[in-house]
Amino acid sequence: MEYRDYYKVLGVERTATADQVKTAYRRLARKYHPDVSKEKDAEEHFKQVQEAYEVLKDPEKRAAYDQLGANWKQGEQFRPPPDWGSGFEFAGGEGPQRRARRGRARAAPEPEAAEDYSDFFSSLFGGGSPFAGSAGMGERSGNDHHARVDIELEEAYRGTTRTLELRRPEVKPDGTVTLGTHTVRVTIPAGVTEGQLIRLAGQGGPSLGGGAAGDLYLEAHILPNKLYQLDGRDVTLTFPVAPWEAALGASVNMPTLGGEVAMTIPANSQSGQKLRLRGRGLPGSPPGDQYVQLKVVLPSAATPAAKELYAEMRSKLDFDPRADFAR
Amino acid sequence: MTRVTTTVIEARLITEEDWIGASEICRLCRLELAAVLELAELGIVNPRQVGGAWQLPTTALPRLRIVGRLMRDLGVNVSGAALAVELLETQRALERRIRDLETLR
Repeated sequence: MEYRDYYKVLGVERTATADQVKTAYRRLARKYHPDVSKEKDAEEHFKQVQEAYEVLKDPEKRAAYDQLGANWKQGEQFRPPPDWGSGFEFAGGEGPQRRARRGRARAAPEPEAAEDYSDFFSSLFGGGSPFAGSAGMGERSGNDHHARVDIELEEAYRGTTRTLELRRPEVKPDGTVTLGTHTVRVTIPAGVTEGQLIRLAGQGGPSLGGGAAGDLYLEAHILPNKLYQLDGRDVTLTFPVAPWEAALGASVNMPTLGGEVAMTIPANSQSGQKLRLRGRGLPGSPPGDQYVQLKVVLPSAATPAAKELYAEMRSKLDFDPRADFAR
Repeated sequence: MTRVTTTVIEARLITEEDWIGASEICRLCRLELAAVLELAELGIVNPRQVGGAWQLPTTALPRLRIVGRLMRDLGVNVSGAALAVELLETQRALERRIRDLETLR
């Protein structure tokens, strides 16, 4: 495994005070928090920052980490020393639960999945290490009750299936806890839309206290589509038409999520005008509609014949496209 | 040791009609009940009381999860997280709108 230089991650000196460590953490957490950050690889950065802070904010963990010495380089191949953790007396640490209840913040404990930590962290401070009972790892229980699933618009229309690998803690006969892999094949009904939650009853991670398994929630995200924009269950399609189709009306084959339908473009339509195909959006009760936004596309005046036609319109039509401008 | 099993399960779509108990939502979002009730006062969620127990629309889960993360990770308080989550939602809606308008051109 690779050595992690937690001081470098937080951008502080090895001699930094607890306050300096905290300030550095808060600044970086704000910068890389996945919910607010626009930085590239924000989530990965944020995990590293959190892991570094987990160690450096805790005097016992920081002291043990410092004992490894100052000569290791970030990313260098590393193996924990055989006497790792000896010479420390652990008070059991301050569990996240107690920490969260103190002060104004009222967010309950943070049971992130153990796999959010690097191998380096897990080998030094994870289960089986002398630190397992102290703050952090001991009370973490897996995070398998919420996941994001990306879905193509066509799949949302038809319904789809996904295979999910859920990692969840399992208690072995000897009482130790291991992470088992559980594969579920999920059928997602037709009509799922952006941000919608999907519930898988009884598939959430079980509590380590032996309680019943909770539900697993998937949050659907509909991937951008080349043709359609999605708004709730409604879809909008930009439909290019020739000037004479818009002016004289036309019968066209209109793509919809369910396949092509025949549609009439009314005479005297304008570019930007919206037509509605009721019930042709995503299914549901009520189903969404499809909006067709007309976009008049002009033939280029590249040939003498085309030029002649445009010139004829100019001379014969009494038309001022800027009639609405204030004079 | 890793044990592998496969199960086929039918998922259900959550709608505005789905309600969830306050204690369950507190567990899922890692928030304390007092924080959820404060968020209700701020208009971030609209709970109802059924037989003395609080329930919330299940659709509130994603924004409550963000509130919980912002409070834990950034040390903001309930009203700060409420403000942030509303601004984030506005920002995302605007970004979607811009993306749509760009494809309409």
